[in-house]
Amino acid sequence: MPTKIILAGEGGQGVQTVAKIIAVTAQRSGKNSSYLPAFGVEQRGGVSLAYLQISSKPITYPRFAKADMVVAFCDRAIPAIKDFLSKDTLFIYDNSVIKNKSLEKIKNLINNYLAMPALALAKEKLSSKVANVVLLGGIIAHLKEIDYQEFEKTLLEEFADKIIKKPEIKDLNLGALKAGIEIAEKFNKEETPFSGIEATEIKTNFSKEKISWQRFPEYCKGCGLCIVRCPTKALQFSRDSGFLGNPMPIVTIEKCIGCGNCMQICPDGAIKVEKST
Amino acid sequence: MPETALPKSWNKESKPHKFCPGCGQALALKILGQAIDELDIQKKMIYATDIGCSLLSWSMFNVDTIQTHHGRTLPLSVGFKKAKPEAIVVSFTGDGGGYAIGAQHLLNTAMRNDPITVILINNANYAMTGGQLAPTTLLNQKTTTAPKGRELAQGKPFKGPEMLAQITSEDAHIARGISTNYQQLLEMYKKAISNQIEGRGFSFVEVIAMCPVNWHTDAQQSLDFAEIEMAKIYPIGELKCPQK
Ligand SMILES: Cc1ncc(C[n+]2csc(CCOP(=O)(O)OP(=O)(O)O)c2C)c(N)n1
Ligand code: SF4
Ligand code: SF4
Ligand code: SF4
Repeated sequence: MPTKIILAGEGGQGVQTVAKIIAVTAQRSGKNSSYLPAFGVEQRGGVSLAYLQISSKPITYPRFAKADMVVAFCDRAIPAIKDFLSKDTLFIYDNSVIKNKSLEKIKNLINNYLAMPALALAKEKLSSKVANVVLLGGIIAHLKEIDYQEFEKTLLEEFADKIIKKPEIKDLNLGALKAGIEIAEKFNKEETPFSGIEATEIKTNFSKEKISWQRFPEYCKGCGLCIVRCPTKALQFSRDSGFLGNPMPIVTIEKCIGCGNCMQICPDGAIKVEKST
Repeated sequence: MPETALPKSWNKESKPHKFCPGCGQALALKILGQAIDELDIQKKMIYATDIGCSLLSWSMFNVDTIQTHHGRTLPLSVGFKKAKPEAIVVSFTGDGGGYAIGAQHLLNTAMRNDPITVILINNANYAMTGGQLAPTTLLNQKTTTAPKGRELAQGKPFKGPEMLAQITSEDAHIARGISTNYQQLLEMYKKAISNQIEGRGFSFVEVIAMCPVNWHTDAQQSLDFAEIEMAKIYPIGELKCPQK
């Protein structure tokens, strides 16, 4: 059973929740576990890393140099986890998020991998918010010494407050966990090569007469400020993804009056509007 | 014509930046980037940042940047200015940094009319550490350390610009803006920095800014809390503007 696990993703992707659930479940199953969250700068920013260890023996130090399992949630995780890879490491990653360009950088270090379309599956069948729990399913499929029921229990405890407010959260999470386990159990390297997505060409330029409206998905975090600030309701979320895998707004250019409100309110500089006179 | 919508003075390598989705502090820094561009001071200025979410901006600009302990950014900035008077020093801090742990520095810097520009983010909480009560937290506003909402017993919401307007010389520039009003905040920044460039002395802009993560608000609720609830208690405008 792998004992040293590194998880890495963007803040907000649920990396720490996954790590915590595993650490707590290991403890309640009579194992020792240690979990060390490591954020870029204090609470926010940068890539969110979690050092996790599970062992039947006492754990003396929470950090380590090489990992038995590495879990990558996003492209920016790749440089952060690179040094933890050895020839025995199991590399689990979201192949509906991570780009081929990023995987290329570690290809020659990977012998053993599990590619999971976590976000795509979650988006399509459940909710994009549970993509992390799909990955959790993939991880626990490899932690056979711990009873599956115990993971379910911890998962539901973790979201207990939210489930009271929104009961459907329970089934979304349990569904995601089961889906993740199923992907892991059926996984076959012959069928699923070590690859990710191609950097997609999404439509970024929209224009009419004197107005040009441009979006930059590589900067968009999906906050929605631009949408609520548009006086003509010309903006809405689209299926195209911004840099966190979030939905990125799109314009209905016929409705746009070129006022520039959306550009001005965007904290990330992800929209540009030009109006010629 | 620039290819992106980012200010020219922003460091493109560090983008997307590290602030949360919808962060008003990041918006305030985007507008500061625009002011730096329009005043053309990128090569002449020093950017000083505090601890708090402000620290996430240490690589925001292609500008020489300094940083120190929580709340101590102002004395550091004043020291820098004294050693190198031709530098245009812009300090960036949170309301915890400026109105709580570093309040004495703000007070004395203002009183001495030290020729630096201070931009202080009022997001009504200690954001970086998880949403604790700040001097600027509104009455009845819930925080992690005031779960039932701020009560009068915990003090009144702190009005920085109003206090500074009382203690500063007539040459000081004091204003309060809001990150959601692009043009207005841009003008305030430009006037504040010009006050330093033109040798009149201290300048200060408090900026009301959304913190959707700790406020637990969506886009519309964030705007409403900042523009309606906060602006009611913290009036927006220039309190002192020697440049007129
Ligand atoms: C001397 C010192 N005391 C306390 C802390 C812990 N600390 C880090 S950030 C912070 C609060 C930041 O709040 P604020 O200045 O309002 O900035 P924000 O995060 O809201 O932008 C505190 C108390 C510290 N880093 N150093
Ligand atoms: S305001 Fe900017 S970051 Fe937020 S959703 Fe719109 S484009 Fe994306
Ligand atoms: S420019 Fe104005 S009208 Fe056009 S999408 Fe942006 S906010 Fe809406
Ligand atoms: S915690 Fe609040 S202030 Fe800090 S980056 Fe996030 S939204 Fe901005």
